[in-house]
Formats: sequence, structure tokens, C-alpha cells
Amino acid sequence: MSFLAPLFLLGLAALAVPVLIHLTQKERKSVVAFPSLMFLRKIPYESVQRRRIRDWLLLALRLAAILLIVAAFARPFLRGSSVAAAAGGARDIVVVLDRSYSMGYGDTWARAQRAAAQAIGSATAADRISLVLFADTAEVALRSTPDRSRAVAEINAASPGPGATKYGPAIKLAGSLLAESLLPRKEMVLVSDFQRGGWQPDDTLRLPGGTTVTTAVIDPPQAASIALTPVTLLRTREPGQAERVTVTAGVLNRTATAANDLPISLEFDGRVVQDLKVSAAANGSASVSFLPVTIPQQPNTRATVRLGTAAAPVDALPRDNVFHFVIAPSAPVPVMTVSQASADAMLYLSRALAIGEAPRFDATLQSPDALAGDALNRARVILLNDVPVGASVAAKLVTFVEGGGGLLIAAGQRTSWPAARAAWLPATIGDTVDRTRGAARLSGIDFGHAIFEPFRAPRSGDFSTARFYSYRALAAAKDASVLARFDTGEPAMVERVAGRGRVIVYASTLDLAWNDLALKPMFLPFVHQVGRHLSGFKEQPAWLTVGQVLDVDAAEIAAGATSGSAARAAAGRTILTPSGQRRDLTAAVASGGTAPATTPALELAEQGFYEIRGTGRDSGPMIVAASNVALAESNLDRMDPKELVAAVTGNGTSGSTPGGDVLPDEAQELAQRVWWYLLFTGILLLIAETLLAHRYSRARV
Amino acid sequence: MSLTTPVPGAKFIDPVVLARIGNLEFVARTVVDGLINGTHRSPFFGASVDFAEHRGYVAGDDIRRVDWRVFARTDKYYIKEFEADSNSNFSVLLDVSKSMGFGAKISKLDYAKTLAACLAYLANAQRDRVGIITFDDAIVEHVPPSAKHLDVVLHTLDRAKPLRPGHLVAPLKKLAEHFGRRGIVVVISDFYAEPEEVFDAVGPIRSRGNDVVLFHLLDPQEIDFSFSDPASFEDMESGDQMPIVPTKLAADYRALVQAHIDTLTKESSRKQVDYVPLNTSMPLDFALFRFLSMRERLARSR
Repeated sequence: MSFLAPLFLLGLAALAVPVLIHLTQKERKSVVAFPSLMFLRKIPYESVQRRRIRDWLLLALRLAAILLIVAAFARPFLRGSSVAAAAGGARDIVVVLDRSYSMGYGDTWARAQRAAAQAIGSATAADRISLVLFADTAEVALRSTPDRSRAVAEINAASPGPGATKYGPAIKLAGSLLAESLLPRKEMVLVSDFQRGGWQPDDTLRLPGGTTVTTAVIDPPQAASIALTPVTLLRTREPGQAERVTVTAGVLNRTATAANDLPISLEFDGRVVQDLKVSAAANGSASVSFLPVTIPQQPNTRATVRLGTAAAPVDALPRDNVFHFVIAPSAPVPVMTVSQASADAMLYLSRALAIGEAPRFDATLQSPDALAGDALNRARVILLNDVPVGASVAAKLVTFVEGGGGLLIAAGQRTSWPAARAAWLPATIGDTVDRTRGAARLSGIDFGHAIFEPFRAPRSGDFSTARFYSYRALAAAKDASVLARFDTGEPAMVERVAGRGRVIVYASTLDLAWNDLALKPMFLPFVHQVGRHLSGFKEQPAWLTVGQVLDVDAAEIAAGATSGSAARAAAGRTILTPSGQRRDLTAAVASGGTAPATTPALELAEQGFYEIRGTGRDSGPMIVAASNVALAESNLDRMDPKELVAAVTGNGTSGSTPGGDVLPDEAQELAQRVWWYLLFTGILLLIAETLLAHRYSRARV
Repeated sequence: MSLTTPVPGAKFIDPVVLARIGNLEFVARTVVDGLINGTHRSPFFGASVDFAEHRGYVAGDDIRRVDWRVFARTDKYYIKEFEADSNSNFSVLLDVSKSMGFGAKISKLDYAKTLAACLAYLANAQRDRVGIITFDDAIVEHVPPSAKHLDVVLHTLDRAKPLRPGHLVAPLKKLAEHFGRRGIVVVISDFYAEPEEVFDAVGPIRSRGNDVVLFHLLDPQEIDFSFSDPASFEDMESGDQMPIVPTKLAADYRALVQAHIDTLTKESSRKQVDYVPLNTSMPLDFALFRFLSMRERLARSR
């Protein structure tokens, strides 16, 4: 119950008036002067009795009348269960069951199932039951059914997953289910362990007006756990030796007692490679470093750090005692440089590409003839330095780029591009501009672009020091981006996205024939940025968390996929989930084209290792992704359910939006009609009080 | 002993009516004359005509008092002296403390004033020297006994007002020094003190050979405690208040008052002090009559 005019409740202070009048008035009226209290004092008698209220009924009538009238003026109205109870009728019950992995603590899940089943136990045949299972996401397991036994079966069939608790999506989903309901009474039953970490107050989370929220708090038997924190990997490479990695794992002890000599092991592909012991103080943390291990040559080594053993678990919550990650030798990005110039002339570019670490580039220098063959399919990035391109090669390059490859055309004296495909390029390549008598310099650089972003800060490389003696005049297409201009304002570098790839036209050469950029310190990072950008390389994490999305393309690139294999794999990929299920992952295909329009993404829903491989022959490397549970979920600190209920029903202090839960007109009228009854009853009581007081006074006279 | 019921059939003067008459001398004369006319013999007179002794005639003695029989036998002049002739001091000790101002129809002090005036008039009529001392917690007025002091006494009585809280012991002990000559000392008070304190106070006076009479004045409400509504009772002297439900206390209160009177009666008898409890609703001449009757009885027994 709430009040429309709560300030009137200050009138409740008037309740003291009858009592005070009763006591003070009698006191004032009857002070009797008496010669001496000598004898009266000798009589053992509790004089307080005199102040006792004699006419209890009269006083009660007065107080009740004042109370009712004040309450009537405060305009009470019923909401939630009150209205529902007043209105009566069938219920729409949405059971929202938490299945985050913390619910797997001991027998918590069994108790949660019992509580959920009990919540729908009172449902009648007219009631409708929905079941929402949630962790970090929510799903409707059962939608608005009158079949109670089916609901119980669904509850029993559910099990806690690897997700972390997030109440927001579940409440939104339950709210939408209840909003669709036509039944007069709406009820949400939230069964959870109410972890504080799962609740983020949000004003937009609001259940429909009149919804009753019932909470079933399932406390873990001991709200304490020991968990593994994410590992850190330190890669080292000694000259002439294989790459090694040092794995450091952390242990977080959330119990009140110290954990001593806990067994912790490092596994590679299911085999234990090292066993150690770790101790953590009460409510403290500790870390342990395993000895450096040589990274296996085969890609995608599945590594696991495991705390405790299957026979002797360290606590009742096993999911956070395992941490998976993937160790792979860093795969180079295949870059094909095509030039008619000698290898010496391309020395600067070759050396620059050879130095890269993240990513490493596997650069090959080819003659223009190589473009006629299928060498394109083995590359991720192609750099054309002063190369004439024929129609057939142009067609191949277009396919290469739209399939996900990156192309840089460095224009020189010999550079040509078929006029039929001129529109495909981001810029039309025009005549040569001779600036030998006054070298051109770069200015107007788009430092917001990924290539030039590292050079944004002062003293991070000055491109204006490079001198350009000749360049090809470029006319940028309307939809192309000009990344850099010469001091004359002419475009020096123009980019366009074509299909899933990118193409850049550079107005000058990559060697020293037309400019001395290769001699400048910023040349090496510039080349690396160009290669990284054109290849679409993103450094892949060794592990992800349940609920995160894996960018499959980026993972394939990081695994060394070429443009050709990526294009084939994009046509169809198969996923093997940690639970052993196999399913296809196919990206949506753009209308009118053969290339997928969207990047295929995989949402990780299980804890363990995912395998993704392209269907068909030579479909590129297999991808393995490690998925771990969120560490925050292992913190079992509980929140007050009232806080959540108040926020979602608008009765709380967490910023309620006025009118956020508007009742229907009839219900509003019904809910606010209470004041009339209160006022009427109050007046009746006053009349009764008057009659009674009159009778009393006559009896005393 | 009944404190409220006058003698059936007797016509006594209502003290309320007397209180309306301002002239105390007139009131006293009215009461006393009526009383004497109604009785053949006053106890005071009876006690005063007894033979006391013979003494030799000295110049100036009234020759009418020469005992001629003795002269006939001894041929010497002797004067015959009687008890009545040895005039005694008659002192009234009047309590004028605040509690004496209490009274529904007539205050105890007004009643006491009339009583004191009557007694003084009566004593003066038999040639006793009359004096008065008013006191509360100290001596307020002091009129030494004298045959010519009746007017002063009556005037003093007229001026007496209940102004301050009272205390028996201190003023009475102090007064005892003044009663060097044996006489009659009448104490008029409401005696709101423990019986031991009362007799501690009058003891020194009595031990000096004075004939002490205690008039204990009580208003009917002090005796019956006929209040009905719960109220806060305020002590007129100390100002203390006490919430009281009279219906619950009345019986206990009456028993305590009666016990107090009984104790005073008993102790008075033991210490040879006259004690007269008086209800202010009782006619004054009836009260005097009762007192004088008692004196007569005691005189016979002593």
C-alpha cells in the first residue's frame, strides 16, 4: 500500500491529542487543597492509577476515528498484490530460475528446483505458468502453459550452466512475458542465490504494474569458495631454440580459513605436465608459477590449470577450480610483395616485414607473373609495387580482396589498372607528377585512421620529412577515404572496403625510386601498420569467458589463414562444443552476392574448448577457443532481495520513473477507492464516540 | 466518641452563623452567657470557691474578708483566702498555620478564633488573667496574660490569619519558658503531627505545673474524606501534590485519622492532659459544654 498524499500522515500526531487531553485536563481540573498529606502518604497506594485511562472504549474510538480520517486524507492506494488480491482472478506466474554456475554449489541447485516447484504448487487450472532460466542471458524454457506437471518437468530437467548471474535480462524477459498476459493477476517468482555481483540497478528494469514479486532465496550451505583467477602467460624465445611459455596461475581464497597445500596442476592436451602445491591465506590470494614449458609445434595446444583433484575437490563449486586456455605458436601473416624491381630495391620493405612480432609477417617477393597463378590464395596481403595489372589479374585481385584479403597498390611509372574495373579502385590512377625540383611532402594525414593512429602523438614520427620526387595523380572515389594528402592537396593514400577485404592505393612507390620514405624511421612502423590493417589481424586472447563472442574470422587470421582458405571456410564451418555437440556456423549471406555480409561470430555458452573448422578441403587452420566461467560468479556475497524487488516494482528508492507502472483505469479506481471507506468508517466512529461520551457524562452527573 | 453529632434536642448556635458576626466579644458573650444560663453551676466557679488558707491581716486588706470567728477565738485578725481568689493565668495557644485555613463552610481558624474568644471571655468573667499566643512555625503574636487584656486578646484573634506553614514543637518548646506561673494553657490546633511530637511539644508546659487543654479541630472533610473524583491533592503547607483516587483511599484514611485521635486521647489521659477533639460542624456552645462537662468530671476524679 502506498499513499498519494503522504504528507497528510503527519496528522497522525493528532493521535496524541485525546490521550493528552484525558490526562492533562483531569489534572488541571481537580487540584484539591488539603491541610496535610500526612495520612495519605501513609497509605500504600500506586498513585499512578489515577492517571490510568478509565474510558478505554471511548479513547479507542477517538483514536481509531482520527487514524482513519488521517489515513483517508493521505489517499492510500493498493498496488501489487493488494490490487491483485482485491481483484481476484487467474494468475500468470513466471518462474525465473537462476542457473548460473554458483547454483551448482553443493545441494543449492536441488533446493532451488524444489523452491521453484513449490512456487507453482498453488497454481490452479486457470493459472498460466512460464519458466525463464537465466544466468548471464535468459531464455524462455516454457511459455504460458496451464500444465503444472510440465512446468515441474522442465524445472527438473534444467541444470546449472557455466554462466554468471545477471538479473537484468531475466527481469526484462519476465516483464515482457507478463506484459503480454491478459490474466488479471501477474506474479513473478524469482528463485536465486541473489549474488550481489549479478545486480546492476537499472531504471529501465520495471515489471508491469500490479505484478507481485516473490523471492525464494537459496543460500549456499557455506557462502565461501576457492577459485582460480585467469592465468598469465610469459612467452620467451631464445635464439635457435623453440618458443617457451611460463604459466602463472592465481588462487583466490574467499573462505575464512587458510587453504594450505592445495594441489594445482598444469595440463597440456589432457596430460598433466606439472603438479604443484599452493597455499592461500584466509580471504587472501596467492599465485603459483609453473616451470617454463616448450610450446608444442602443432597449433592450438589445449592447456588447463586445475585446482584440486577429482577425488579431493577444494570446495563445493568445481567450475571455478578449472581454467582453460590455448597455447599456439604465433602464426605469421602471409604477405606477398609483387614488384618488378630488384630484390635490392625492395630491401627496405622486405627487412621491415621480417622484423614484425605481433603479427609476424611471412613476406615473399614475387614477380608480376606470379599473379597469374594461384599464389594469391596463399597470401593474406598483397603489396603491388609499380606493377601493371591486366584484366585477368585484376579480376583475381578483386576476388582476393572481396574474399577477405588486403591489397596495396603502390603506384609507379609502370602501374596500370584496367579501365573496366577502374571504378572498383578507391582512386583513379592518373598521370605522373614530377616534383624533382621541389619535392612534395605528406601533409593532411588522417591520424584517426588505424594506420596512422600510432603516429598521432607528438614526436611519434614526422611524415613530412619524407620527400616525394614523383607520384601519380590520384582522383579519389566518392565513397573512398583519403588517408593522406600531399602538400598540394592531392590524395597520397586512398582506401576503400571491398567485400570482406580492403584495398589501398598509394600514389608513390614503396622503394626508393620516387621517394625516400623507406629511409625514414617511421617507415618500419608504417609498413607494419599497413600490413596489420590490410590483413585484419587482431591479437587473439588465449582464453575467453562464457558469454563472450568469438570473432571467427579474426581467430582464423591469427591462426594463419590465407584469403583463399578463409573464403572457402566462410562458406561453411563446423563447431564442436565442449559438451561434444556438433553444429554448423554459417554467416549470413548478403543479398545478391556470394560473400557473407556479416562476420561470423560464435557466442560461447559452455566452459571448455570449442573447435571450429571449415568444411571442405583446404579450408584453413582449425581454431580452438578456450572458454572459462566468469570469476565474479565465484563471489557468493548475497544481496538483499528487497532491494531488487523494490527496484523492479517501483516501490524502492533506486530511481523509480513516475508513471513507470501505470495501472489500468479500473484498477486505479479500485486501488484508490480505499480512502472513501476509511473516511466513512472514521465518521461513523466519531458519531459512536459522541453518543458514548454523552452517555458516560450523564451517568457521571 | 462522636465528633459530629450534637446532643439531640438541644438548641445550639451554628458556628457558621457565629462566624458571620465580626465582633468576637459579642460572639463570645452570646455563647458564654447562653451556656451559663443553661447550666446551674459552672465547673470553673465550683472549683474556685474552695477555702485555701488563713493569713494575717495587713493594712489595706479588705476588712470584709476578716474571719471574725477566728478573731473571736484568738483575738487576732486573720484574712480568709479561697482558691478562687488566687487568680490563675489563662493562656490560649492558637495555631495559625496554613492548614488551619481549611474548611468547606467555616475554616478551622475561624472556628478556633470563636472558641478561643469564648474561652477567654469565660476565663475573664471569673477574674482569670487571659493572654494569647498565636504561632505557626514560630511565634506570631504574644499577648501576656493579664486581667485587662481581654480586648487585646480579642483583637489579636481578630487579626490572626493562616499565612505560613506550621510546626508544633519548636514554638511550643520556646513558649514553655514563659509559663513560669502555673495556669491554664489551651492549645487549639489541628495537630498534624505525630502524637509523640505533640506531647514532646506540650510536655515542658505540662511539667511546669500548667493545666494543659488540647483542642483538636478537624473539618468534616478531614474526618470523613468525602471526596469522590480522582484529583491531585495539594498539601496546603508544603505545596506537595499527590494524585489520589479518593474512593480507593477513603476507608484507609478514615481509619488512620481515627487511630490518630485515639492515640492522642490515650496519651493525653496518660499524661494528664485534657484532649478535646472538635468537629467544626459542631455548634460551638455544644463544644464548650462538652469540654466543661469533661473538666468537671475530671475535677471530681482528680
